[in-house]
Amino acid sequence: MLKPTILCLSLSLPSIAIAQDVGSIVDTHILPGYQSLAAKTQILSTTAQQECTPSSATLQSAYHDAFDAWVSVSHLRFGPSETEDRAFALAFWPDPRGSTPKTLAGLIADADPVIETSEAFRTVSVAGRGFYALEFLLFDPAFVDMGSPEYRCALIQAVLTDIADNSAAILEDWTDRYADLMRNAGENGTYRSEEEALRQLFTALSTGLEFTSSARLGRPLGTFDRPKPKRAEARRSERSLRHVVLSLEATRALADLMSDENPELDAAFVKALKRAETVDDPSFSGVAELQGRLRVEVLQQQVDLIRQKVAEDLGTSLGIAAGFNSLDGD
Amino acid sequence: MPDRRSFLAGLVATGLCPKASWADVGSPRYLSAAKRPDGAYVLCGLSAEGAIVFEILLAGRGHAAAAHPTRPLAVAFARRPGTFAVVLDCTTGLETAQLSAPKGRHFYGHGTFSSDGGLLFTTENDYEAARGVIGVWDVQAGFQRIDEFPSGGIGPHDIKLLPDSRGLVVANGGIETHPETGRAKLNIPSMRPNLSIVDVNGHQTGICELDPEFRKNSIRHLAVNKAGDVAFAMQWQGDVSDHPPLLGKWSVEGHVDLLSPSTPQQRASMHGYAGSVAFSSDLTQVAITSPRGGRALVFDSESGELLFETVVPDACGIADHERGFVLTSGNGKICIYADRHPQRTTMHERAWDNHLVELAGAGSAGSA
Repeated sequence: MLKPTILCLSLSLPSIAIAQDVGSIVDTHILPGYQSLAAKTQILSTTAQQECTPSSATLQSAYHDAFDAWVSVSHLRFGPSETEDRAFALAFWPDPRGSTPKTLAGLIADADPVIETSEAFRTVSVAGRGFYALEFLLFDPAFVDMGSPEYRCALIQAVLTDIADNSAAILEDWTDRYADLMRNAGENGTYRSEEEALRQLFTALSTGLEFTSSARLGRPLGTFDRPKPKRAEARRSERSLRHVVLSLEATRALADLMSDENPELDAAFVKALKRAETVDDPSFSGVAELQGRLRVEVLQQQVDLIRQKVAEDLGTSLGIAAGFNSLDGD
Repeated sequence: MPDRRSFLAGLVATGLCPKASWADVGSPRYLSAAKRPDGAYVLCGLSAEGAIVFEILLAGRGHAAAAHPTRPLAVAFARRPGTFAVVLDCTTGLETAQLSAPKGRHFYGHGTFSSDGGLLFTTENDYEAARGVIGVWDVQAGFQRIDEFPSGGIGPHDIKLLPDSRGLVVANGGIETHPETGRAKLNIPSMRPNLSIVDVNGHQTGICELDPEFRKNSIRHLAVNKAGDVAFAMQWQGDVSDHPPLLGKWSVEGHVDLLSPSTPQQRASMHGYAGSVAFSSDLTQVAITSPRGGRALVFDSESGELLFETVVPDACGIADHERGFVLTSGNGKICIYADRHPQRTTMHERAWDNHLVELAGAGSAGSA
């Protein structure tokens, strides 16, 4: 009889103890994540200088490595990632009005010379830059032979230089400036106390989980009557489920650091990750059918259970009251 | 002996009471949506002293309401991106009409009546075109949609009537959203909020944009005083370590002033987020609330100097009151301030929602 025991435990446990060491979270979670992103995007960009055929196995493998690195930091959306809209330029998704394919098709149709320098390319709409634009260029049948091969190759290289530049800029900003602002919370205007820095991390954790539930899982699920498999994230390169798993692993690592590895919270992550293993549908194309849909729906419920635990247990320990207006403004 | 409300309802039903007025429902001065301890969502009429004079059940969480200038009718909007709103007869508590957003549109949760009460204007998203729209509804025809026109920007949120037949002022928040992606913000790098003045026929007669450094300051909520000055509350979408002004004043002469406390601590205490804004009826003060910062800041509307701040957890709704302001919170508080001092605090078992809407004619906005 496992279930009642778990129930008793959860009732008797007080709210979660909070790790007070923001510095170690910066050093073991944030900086390594952005170091990996900078390194992997540099490799990808260098690879494309030598080989820009979309079907190239070397290029595709470098693409997957770099995209993995991005998803693993995609919950850390504050400070350097938001300065100069760097994260938006790396990851423009969701895209409900189809701005990414429109922007790319426009560049290719005009053979727009804006791709010739990285300074000029930075003026292109964020919809035409970053990983999701790159995915169209490498994996969408409509794009792999649009326009001239020379222009397509130059465009892929421009997108990749921009991704590598942005990733390097985020890392540099973290190392030179922002890591110290968080480590020395209480001694600067950005974080006036360690608690404020922890609240920032809490916000990153909860918004990261919310994004996984509502966008990564919620968009393809649509409604029961109208599932939308074509809205799945990065479905063209069959990365939709992978993004859910990577984001759960990354938020689990942050939650463990923040909660001193609270076993109950960690167990909720383990449960969701186990559930993800049963989905066996890399691009969520199966949500259009009943069985496939149910598997993804149950996974979404598991993620929502984590969110609830994070909000109630971790949030309460941080003194973040679930205010009627403060948590839900408009 | 039937109670007054059902008695009135009976009169309405028999057609003996063609001219019900706000006096028939206890002369509320304000409207506010709220959540009750039993989980039900309601719309309340509040007296000038903060007492509940009527309460009507809503189907879901409300946002702002629009009050008819003379008849006891309130339009309750669902929270964005809702596609319906209900017209409530406050004498009976019954729905008298439903507003459904046309295909391809959703409401933003705010609306206002024309000065004679003949038209209702609603802020809406034409989301495939990513442009803001003002919907026009004919009250006499049972709230039939008769027209729409551009709001002058993206993401129109609050809308208020200007005095002296100058039309409407719209806060175009600048943020593009799409119902498929909920409240996800799709254009932060390129957002350009503005304030637009449009006449009731949809002609844009004025626009105010802030300097480029404040491009990410989303203009969301408005207050208008009887002179025609517009105060606007903003929500910062840029770097969290910046603490830009969150309150602005666009005077009837066309000057724009941004109001901000002098100390960095006070600027940071608003967490980049202002929830509501109000002028005092004597026009000397202007106030904003920050539910995230759990406080309200009151400024001298001429000098722009911070007069006082008050700490109230989850404070959000604010409106003018005699010589000061009335403030509501998500914890049930209603606080009245006069001459810079708290005068009276009452507690209700209601979580007061974002906005406290003042009835037209009762206070600062006056009649247009």
